[in-house]
Amino acid sequence: MAAWSCRLLLQRGTRVISLRAAAESPSHLVGCVRSVNTTTWFDEHLTEENQEYMRRSVAQEYRRQTADSLNPLKDEPWRRHEWTQGSRRVGLVAVKLGMAPIWTKTGERHVATMLQVQDCHVVKHLSKEEFDGHTAALLVGGKNVSPFHHLNSLLTIFSLFRHSDRQKSEEQMEMFRNAGVPPKQKLTTFKVSDNALIKPGTPLFAAHFRPGQYVDVTAKSIGKGFQGVMKRYGFKGQPATHGQTKTHRRPGASGPGGDPAKVFKGKKMPGRMGNVFVTAYGLKIWRVNTKCNVLYVNGSVPGHKNCVLKIRDTILPTRSSTLLSLPFPTYFTEEEGDLDEDLYDDNLFIHTDPSLTLT
Amino acid sequence: MEVTAAHKKSRFVDAHFPTRLPYNFPCKNGRSDMAACAKGLHRCTFSLRLLRDPRLQNERFVSTSLCRPAPGHNGEEPPKFSPPAKPVIIDKTQTVASLRKFLSPEFVPPRQRTDPFKFAIERKDMIRRRKVLHIPEFYVGSILAVTMADPNASGKINRFVGICIQRGGKGLGATFVLRNIIDNQGVEICYEMYSPRIQKIDVLKLEKRLDDNLVYLRDALSEYSTVDPEMKPVPFSPTGEVTVNKIRVRMRPKPWSKRWERPKFNIQGIRFDLALTPEQTEHAQKWAHPWLEYDMLREYDTSNLEERILREVQQEMSK
Repeated sequence: MAAWSCRLLLQRGTRVISLRAAAESPSHLVGCVRSVNTTTWFDEHLTEENQEYMRRSVAQEYRRQTADSLNPLKDEPWRRHEWTQGSRRVGLVAVKLGMAPIWTKTGERHVATMLQVQDCHVVKHLSKEEFDGHTAALLVGGKNVSPFHHLNSLLTIFSLFRHSDRQKSEEQMEMFRNAGVPPKQKLTTFKVSDNALIKPGTPLFAAHFRPGQYVDVTAKSIGKGFQGVMKRYGFKGQPATHGQTKTHRRPGASGPGGDPAKVFKGKKMPGRMGNVFVTAYGLKIWRVNTKCNVLYVNGSVPGHKNCVLKIRDTILPTRSSTLLSLPFPTYFTEEEGDLDEDLYDDNLFIHTDPSLTLT
Repeated sequence: MEVTAAHKKSRFVDAHFPTRLPYNFPCKNGRSDMAACAKGLHRCTFSLRLLRDPRLQNERFVSTSLCRPAPGHNGEEPPKFSPPAKPVIIDKTQTVASLRKFLSPEFVPPRQRTDPFKFAIERKDMIRRRKVLHIPEFYVGSILAVTMADPNASGKINRFVGICIQRGGKGLGATFVLRNIIDNQGVEICYEMYSPRIQKIDVLKLEKRLDDNLVYLRDALSEYSTVDPEMKPVPFSPTGEVTVNKIRVRMRPKPWSKRWERPKFNIQGIRFDLALTPEQTEHAQKWAHPWLEYDMLREYDTSNLEERILREVQQEMSK
């Protein structure tokens, strides 16, 4: 294992050096980069005992790091400001568990998606100058994951080149180490106003959102592969009978005709469908379980079960109400620790209540 | 003599006895004059029997002790007053908790890639609802009565009695379908077990059938789907095995809504010998998949999971 890790570091080192030298011409990299593209997992060649030891030690390490970040006495947290009109606060990274039905007090049935906030920490703070010149940003990380887990290559200002995304890049590991936080599966940026900045390393909980509020959820939709035009864009196709020769699901005509004498760019044609980031806007939060960190969000959400998503307050103007006093900049357990285990929306039927009698 | 006595008794009884007796009381003889007295005699004996019924004994009614001879007649001590035996009231409307080991099928999670944590949270919600609304043990083939809140019904309450033909769904969205024939029209209503609009679920008759799915009753003769809406609950013991009704149903002539004779439905409860010719039964076997029972990837043994969930549910319910 030691030799292996040395080899990995060496390879990483060589790659980093060679790529930094030729950063502006990625076409040259194809020849000189020797990336580790083997399909294997980190404990394939370990003995049983060593595998167990690795798992236990990594889990202990993560728990210690998380507990440390919960302790406020270690490092002073940053100053907290009051909410003003037009300030934006952070969002969360959550995992989609599944869907369940919910009923309102008038007997209507709706469906809700359950999202669990697992190990959400603020990982890095990018000031206005570093980020884009206009707004500050906070990088928030989601699910805890081993350092050998492959990452979606984060195309930030750090990585201008595409290298093998089989292992977490060194820059990201450095970020996690600086924040004192275990490596995360998903890292997202939230554009945040200056009065809502949070110190890197603070954990974020589901009580950050309250029932009755509206949120936007972004996730990668389920990949469908190469799909035809009927499934991809909802074209009508052609009839099944009445003399159609080998034409039942084809796109048909591709444009006006002789005048442009070309097919316009962006013409809807068959191609790869899904596996893109899709946002669902204006989803109401019906219920928040503060004990297990689960949010019940109205309707459906893009992505498969157990996928990692990004949740933030709505940008829709008609749904962003200022009546609810939302925790600003975020929910801290040590301050507002005494919340009920379950927070419900006013219209939601709670299962411990007696059955409805409609009058 | 008899006639006058009868008349006296009948007058006496009529004055004090307020219950209404049926007009068309059966008489043995058809002749009018004899019939009148005979009617009266029948009435007073019937009413005397009613009077003796301990439930109807009240200070308003006449005590039957008036007919006995007066005490102290022979110089004996008056008989000690012994109060009448207390009536034993068996309240059949109260349901006794089942002592059978029964786990409702919607608690068993399907074989999916979902996190078991999600099923655990859903189970907590289901148990919370079950503590408020008693959902009894029932199977497909049992006769149930469901009262539901309905904004369009008069009195806002809707009661439907039917035979359960199907149980579907897992978790909070579990459903069951009740079928009945009302005014010559077949009606099927799909109820969600955990819906807050349901006020009460009663099991009128608990039994199992030969199949898990009785949707074929749609193509069977209507006598098999008719359930009396005013049916009285049939008492069943909370211990012991549930009775299996081995009835095999006669069908209407083909075509049916589904080809029930095909082996994929695996229906035991239809009289195919009356509905199909031997050639048709043989032809249906062409759709058989005999290799499916040897397919090991399809095996999903839920016994351990069920035991664990049953223990958890029983623990939570008893809290």
